[in-house]
Amino acid sequence: MSDSSAKTLLPEGLRDVLPPDAAFEGQMIDQLSRSFAQNGYDLVRTPLVEFEDTLLSGVGAAMGGRIFRMLDPVSHRTLGVRTDITTQIARLAGTRLAAAPRPLRLTYAGPVLRVRGSQLEPERQFTQAGIELIGAEGAAADAEVIAVTSEALAVLGGSGIVVDLALPTLVNAIVGRVDNGLRAALDHKDVAQIRSRGGAHGDLLAAVTAASGPIDAAVSRMASLALPDGARRAWATVVALRDALRESAPGLQLTVDTVESRGFEYHSGITFSLFAAGSQREIGRGGRYLLPSGEPATGATLIIEPLLVALPKAERSRRIYVAAATERAQVRQLQAAGWITIAGLAVSSDQRADARRLGCDHVYEQGKIVPLEKKL
Amino acid sequence: MADASLILALPKGRLLDEALPILARAGITPDAAIASDDSRQLRFKTNHAHIDVIRVRSFDVATFVAFGAAQMGICGLDDLMEFDYPDIYAPLDLGVGKCRLAIAARTDQAAPFDLARLSHIRIATKYPNVTGRWFAERGVQAECIKLNGAMELAPVLNLSPYIVDLVSTGATLKANGLKEVATIAEISARLIVNRTALKVRAAELNGWIDRCRTALAG
Repeated sequence: MSDSSAKTLLPEGLRDVLPPDAAFEGQMIDQLSRSFAQNGYDLVRTPLVEFEDTLLSGVGAAMGGRIFRMLDPVSHRTLGVRTDITTQIARLAGTRLAAAPRPLRLTYAGPVLRVRGSQLEPERQFTQAGIELIGAEGAAADAEVIAVTSEALAVLGGSGIVVDLALPTLVNAIVGRVDNGLRAALDHKDVAQIRSRGGAHGDLLAAVTAASGPIDAAVSRMASLALPDGARRAWATVVALRDALRESAPGLQLTVDTVESRGFEYHSGITFSLFAAGSQREIGRGGRYLLPSGEPATGATLIIEPLLVALPKAERSRRIYVAAATERAQVRQLQAAGWITIAGLAVSSDQRADARRLGCDHVYEQGKIVPLEKKL
Repeated sequence: MADASLILALPKGRLLDEALPILARAGITPDAAIASDDSRQLRFKTNHAHIDVIRVRSFDVATFVAFGAAQMGICGLDDLMEFDYPDIYAPLDLGVGKCRLAIAARTDQAAPFDLARLSHIRIATKYPNVTGRWFAERGVQAECIKLNGAMELAPVLNLSPYIVDLVSTGATLKANGLKEVATIAEISARLIVNRTALKVRAAELNGWIDRCRTALAG
């Protein structure tokens, strides 16, 4: 390995984001934060690193395998890098903001880190932006979180947004304990294996699995199945959420996944995953969980990296080359009119060539905006 | 959404011949060139303008579908287990390509295959992940030597005392002086679907799954 390649190599799953992508990312996060704030979600900021035992207590208990750890030279305690901001918000809501009026609406955005990426999603650092609605139960709260999130995506130009509802507790309500073999079969929707590993419940589980899909078809398929009482009551919450969303967000595309539970480690009720037509990956997820105090909460988290692929890129402002020694007042006037100004620092012999080299399609000469002819 | 293109990934070889009639009954007939080994083509048209078929190695079917490069595919359970991609759903057992993933040793091997006494085992296989997991669940550390073919030679030439491979009749094992000592899994081919595609194009893909299910029943 040469010296220079050793200096450019980053650890697996980490990367630099260059122009113009970094700007798109920044604009996207700003716009999402604005949309969330307009709906009454107040911005909070939590630290990147916390004491390990705080990070892994309460809602964060399931995250132990995913966090980077280090020793704090000051306190001699183990620190952990956050791998999910939702768990930090849950901590805030239960401690510093315990006395804040309910329902508590909070929003956040920032990077998180995890020990290992997957083959499909190799990033170890990625950016989350989301909302949490704390202290509210029922379909109306779930519907608000889903509607606010999908509206924020629509503002960004997202199309073909699909909300895939899930109820990780449903399978347990049918069979009680689920062993690893059955869990794997359910995760892959392998109906043949579900039937053979599901024991006495095999046929029912296979039918429940096959009911996944567009929500109305799923609701009618599930209605024809003989579910145990506990499962039927749990399923009724999904039907109630569908009804609430039909009223508040009638255009929203809803599907349901009756047996999904992966990645919903701390969730206690309805969960959901978000997809967009342009992305081959999930763009966000969320759902209902309980604070350690027993207080109900729900939320949604968008993941910025797949969103950048799925959503149309915002139009960049036009760039104009401003000759050296132009008065700042004129420069500010151009900026007020929406231009991005690139200042020439020295008087140039070929100003237009300089302008082109720096990605400008106009130059500002002698008080006039002059378009550069396109080079063929 | 009905006009968006749909890519179906099919495996080369014997499984392809068994899968094509099922697809035909479900209403998808690829260009006849797909069944010919002479064709260098990799992508084939079908009787539907928006559906194309790609023909790749059986291992790669799972990869194409997992990453969403193909929305659907047909793939052996052995390959699905080996990769264990979270984003693949396998909703339909096609009942073809039946065999089992088994552990084999030399017929004349003296030591019995006793998992309770083993702490470590050396195995030659094309399926290191499945093998490693299976043994780990039984408290045995498996040292896997990855081979891509001719597994049966490994015990004979003392590369490793055991192999994990697909067995259908057992004739190949027998011809090479090997015997089956344990079964890891019963294998058959699955219709597989990419998770995101199934969510974003739910009605369309569920429709094809249903048609394939009907084709199997009929």
